[in-house]
Parts: sequence; structure tokens; C-alpha cells
Amino acid sequence: MATKTLTALTLAAAVGGAAAALGTTGTVSAQDMVKCYGIALAGQNDCANAAGTHSCAGQSTVDFDGGEWKLVPAGSCNEPGSEEPFAGVGGTIPGLEGSDPNA
Amino acid sequence: MLRDLQTQFRVGLLGGDAAPALASIENDVITPAQRFGIYRNNVLGSLAGALAAAFPVIERLVGERFFRAAARSFVQQSPPTVPQLLAYGDGFPAFLEAFPPAQSVRYLGDVGRLEWGRVDSMFAADAPALEPSALTSLPPEALADLLFAAHPATRLIRSAQFPIHTIWQVNQPSNPDPRPVDPGLGAEAVLVTRPGLAVETNPVTPGDAVFVQCLLQQQPLAAAAEAALGAEPDFDLQGALAAHLGRGTFSRVMQASR
Amino acid sequence: MTTPPSTEFVVDPIPASAGIGLRHPHVTDFVTRRPPVGWIEVHSENYLGAGGPRLAALEQIRRDYPLSCHGVGLSLGSWEGLNVDHLARLRALFDRFQPGLVSEHVAWSVQDGTYLNDLLPLPYTEEALTILCRNVEQAQEAFGRRILVENPSSYVSFAESTIPEWEFMAETSRRTGCGLLLDVNNIHVSAHNHRFEPGPYLDAIPLDMVGEVHVAGHFVHEFDDQAILIDDHGAPVADAVWALLREALRRLGSVPVLVEWDTRIPPLDVLLAEAEKAQALIDIASTGRVRGDTGAPVHAS
Repeated sequence: MATKTLTALTLAAAVGGAAAALGTTGTVSAQDMVKCYGIALAGQNDCANAAGTHSCAGQSTVDFDGGEWKLVPAGSCNEPGSEEPFAGVGGTIPGLEGSDPNA
Repeated sequence: MLRDLQTQFRVGLLGGDAAPALASIENDVITPAQRFGIYRNNVLGSLAGALAAAFPVIERLVGERFFRAAARSFVQQSPPTVPQLLAYGDGFPAFLEAFPPAQSVRYLGDVGRLEWGRVDSMFAADAPALEPSALTSLPPEALADLLFAAHPATRLIRSAQFPIHTIWQVNQPSNPDPRPVDPGLGAEAVLVTRPGLAVETNPVTPGDAVFVQCLLQQQPLAAAAEAALGAEPDFDLQGALAAHLGRGTFSRVMQASR
Repeated sequence: MTTPPSTEFVVDPIPASAGIGLRHPHVTDFVTRRPPVGWIEVHSENYLGAGGPRLAALEQIRRDYPLSCHGVGLSLGSWEGLNVDHLARLRALFDRFQPGLVSEHVAWSVQDGTYLNDLLPLPYTEEALTILCRNVEQAQEAFGRRILVENPSSYVSFAESTIPEWEFMAETSRRTGCGLLLDVNNIHVSAHNHRFEPGPYLDAIPLDMVGEVHVAGHFVHEFDDQAILIDDHGAPVADAVWALLREALRRLGSVPVLVEWDTRIPPLDVLLAEAEKAQALIDIASTGRVRGDTGAPVHAS
């Protein structure tokens, strides 16, 4: 593809070659479909109170107050257990500072 | 009146002044604030949890505690407007981009757009993928003006600046020990498709990104291919078409009416 | 390469047996194992996407099980009325999957178009009852069918409430003709949280209107030294709730009973064992009255 002016012939060759490379598209096997069923990817509505009082990580607490949280770049965050999964990437790692109402 | 009570609850549940709502609650066994807090925590916690399900790589990148706090801020600012959690979160990437505490990590927005593209793709309408025979049955002179209809589940995410596919791939929650990625590696574009029922996430070359973008914008095949060659002199049209046929990027083709 | 909807379903009545809530982690198990439960229930809102694997999975599982659609987002108690787009999406879901039962909650979750994703409490007043009944009637009209409404778990009571919850439930059914979904875990949770006895609750419920019963686990949270029960659906059904189920079934005869588990979801076999326990209680009760599928009573001789 050295030229920018595509002739009908060039297009036909590319389209024909691509189609030949693929053959016909297949149908999905039952096994593949079942595999797809196992992927969640989004929140699920439910009718339970899953987070009302639990104090474990990731849940909110009874007296959660947005004002108690202070988010700062992690350079100044040395709390035990703060995660730095992206260390060495180049950017500063964001972290969390302040009183943790979950603790 | 019920209207006032529900308004007061909404305000208090989303982190606003709860005093009017508390005034309507009986003080019995535990305090109204404690009782109201159960609902508030469930509202904020369950919606933050829904965001965590949709943005697992963002959570991995910033850590769970930062994620939860950021998610709660987003929930308070932009609560859902439809009662389906599968549709909640499209505004979260832009929120992260503007979120002051996250300013030191500029790629979160684009990585978030990639993740949302996957969710959006997963729940998009079903449609057959374009069959190769739909192309080969056409006369060669019809190809230049051919228009392509995207499959409903196709999403193209182009970052102007960051290697979003590499960041996304390396930081999968299933990867216990992600290697460092240099965010200055260069911009990447990602194509999300759903051939069959599985959501696929593939990087595409700069030329292919332009090619797909043009076709999604209803430009004819020849114009899209020329734009792609302009962006990437080595753009492989045949290889790109073969890949798109295999991934179900498109659903059908239409002859342009002239 | 996709699998468009192909099966034309007809309504399968929900049998008077134990069912379980179909939750995502068990979907592949259901497809590959076809576990022996009488019926399944899903949360309608999780299936309102346009397409994709979630709907395809339900399509496949529905071939093997009668289905109940349990809504969690319609907000029947909203002052502002119902979202007509949401009603239409639900109607399309019901038209496609032909559920044997359709149910929702006596609660609200939408205000000024904002969806709060929780089953929020109503004050039990004449005004709220009027609004609820208006919305129930609108939903039944939009769906072209009768619905069941479920008693909620609650953590607050309102100073302005004038009607006991059980009367509020019964009156909703009387005024709109809707059936009742009696959640005995919710009765237990609310009775504890508001310190009332569950017995009079059961006494006040019009038995002929009960089309389904729910059981689930709950969580005990201590506020200082006061225990408050949280309806988290994250544990085995408590003994006190099994006892309440037994008492409810003694009055109801046999009726569909659903085991719900939404938080910290265990392996499917754990849930199936809970369903077996429920089934045993149904079997004991079924020596009494025999009931139809939608709550309309069929009296055995």
C-alpha cells in the first residue's frame, strides 16, 4: 500500500484477501457460550442491604461522613496497607490520608 | 407530606444535610442518625460497589480505599437516573479526569473509558456479524463507496496520549504482580467487540483506529482506507479487514446511494 | 455469530415448592448441572440490557425452569409516580420470558428522577397508601397482569405513621387487587428493629392474597449494646425465621417459597440445601390447603 490513491482493483484485492483469510464466520459453540455466561462486568441490582453497617474493607460504616476523607497524592501517604500496585510507572501514586472511619 | 419526606431523604442519603430527614424519624432504641445511617451507607456503599464491578482496573490502579472514596464522591455528584446498575458509570471516567485528588495520574480517564466501553459492549443489542460473503458477492466497482454499519456492541476507544491497552492489560486484577508500565510509551487505541457473546478487547494500530473511526462515521470504504494510509503509511488494509471480519466489528454493509 | 432470541416461551406457573434466586455466580452451574429446584427468581432490573450474554444465559435457563421476575427498581412508593420508560422495559422483559409471577416492593427508591438503589421506607399514612395504590394500579395496567407486593425490611419508623405495616399491606391488596409476597425474614427483621411481635402481623395478612413467600439470612449489628438486624441476604436462614416460615405455612397451606442469598454468595450446593429445608416445611404444610400458582386459592376438599 504505497499509494494513497486506492483503485477499485486494490480495494477488491484487499477485500477478497481478507474474506479468503476468514472463510465463513462460525457459530458459537455451546461450550463457548457457557464460558461467556460466567463474566459479570457490571453491578447487579439486588434487594439486600449489603453495605448498611458492615465495617470490613470496601464497605461503608454507620457514621460515614464524606468530610472525614482527605485524598492526597501518595507521596505523603505512608499508611500501612495502602496499595501501590502501579509503583514505578512514573506518575505519583494516589493514596488516601486522614482518619479512616472504616478502621 | 410524602413529597417533602422523599426529597429530604434523597438529600440526606447522598451526603447532604440529613437534619430534615432525621426530624421525621422516631427516636427508639437507637438514634435516628444511627437508623438513617444504615440507609445512607447502603445507598453510597452499594453504588460504589457497582462502580467497582464496572471499573476493576481503575480500582487496581488506585487501590481499593482511594477507589471507594472517589466512587462515593462520584455517587454523590452524579447518582444514577435509571434503575439499572448495569447502565451506571458512564460519567465516571470524566469525573476521575477532573477529580482533584487524582490529578497526578492523568491516564485514569482514558483507562476508565476503555473499561466502560467493555461494559457498554457487553449489554449492547444482539446482531449478526458481517459475513465475508457479503463483501465477496459485490462487484469490485461497488467497493469504494461501500458503507459499513457497526455491530451494536462495537466500541472504539482512542487515547490522545496514553498506552491505555498496555496499562489495562498489565493491571488486570488477576495479575498478581504487574510489571511497571511507562505512561509515556505513546498513545494507544483499543477496539472492543463482541463476536458471539464474549467481549473482546484488542489494541489497534493508529491507521486502523482512523480506518474504524471513519467507517463508524459513515465514510465510504475508499475514503476510510485513504485516511488510514494518511495516518499510517504502512497500514495493512487487507489485514485490518480480515481482523474486523473475525472480531465482528461490523454488522452489515450498505451501498451508498449516489 | 450471535445468538438472537429464538425461544417462544409460554407462562409456566410457579409451583408451590421451594425455589431459589438465580444469582450471577451460579449461572454456569445452572446451565451445566440443571439443579433440582422447582423454580427460579431473578431481579428484573439485571436483565434490562439490550442484549448480550446475561440475557442469553437467562434464555437458556428459562427453558428448564419456571421463572419469577422480582423487581427492585420500580419504586412503587414514589410520590412522583412511576417511570413509564422503565415500565415499558419491564413489560418487554415479561413479554419475552413469560414469568409465572411478577413482584415488587412496598418501598421507594426514586426521587426527582434520581435512583437511590435501596428499598427505602414509606411512612404508613393514608397519603402514602393512596400514592402506593395509584402506582400499583398503574404497574398492573402497564404489565397487563396482577403483581405481588412484598413487605419491606425497615430500619426506621416515622412519627407521622398512623397505620400498622400489616394493615398497610393488607389494604394495598384490598384496594388494588394485587397479591402479597410475604417475606418472613423481613417480618422478623422489622419486628426486631421496631420491637413488635410478628404473630399479629401474620394474623392481619389476608391469606388468600399471598402468592409467594421469601426467606433469607440477615446480619446482626450491635449499636452500642442494642442489636439491630440488617437484611443483608448474606447468611443461612436464621432458626427464628424458619420457625416463622413454619407458622406462616401452617396458615397458608402450600405456597411457593423462595430462598434469597445476595451477599457473600455461597456455592450453589449451600443454597440448594437451604431450599431443601424450605421444601420440607412446605411438604408438612401441604397436607392442609392446596393453592394455585398466582395466589388465587383453590380449596382442597
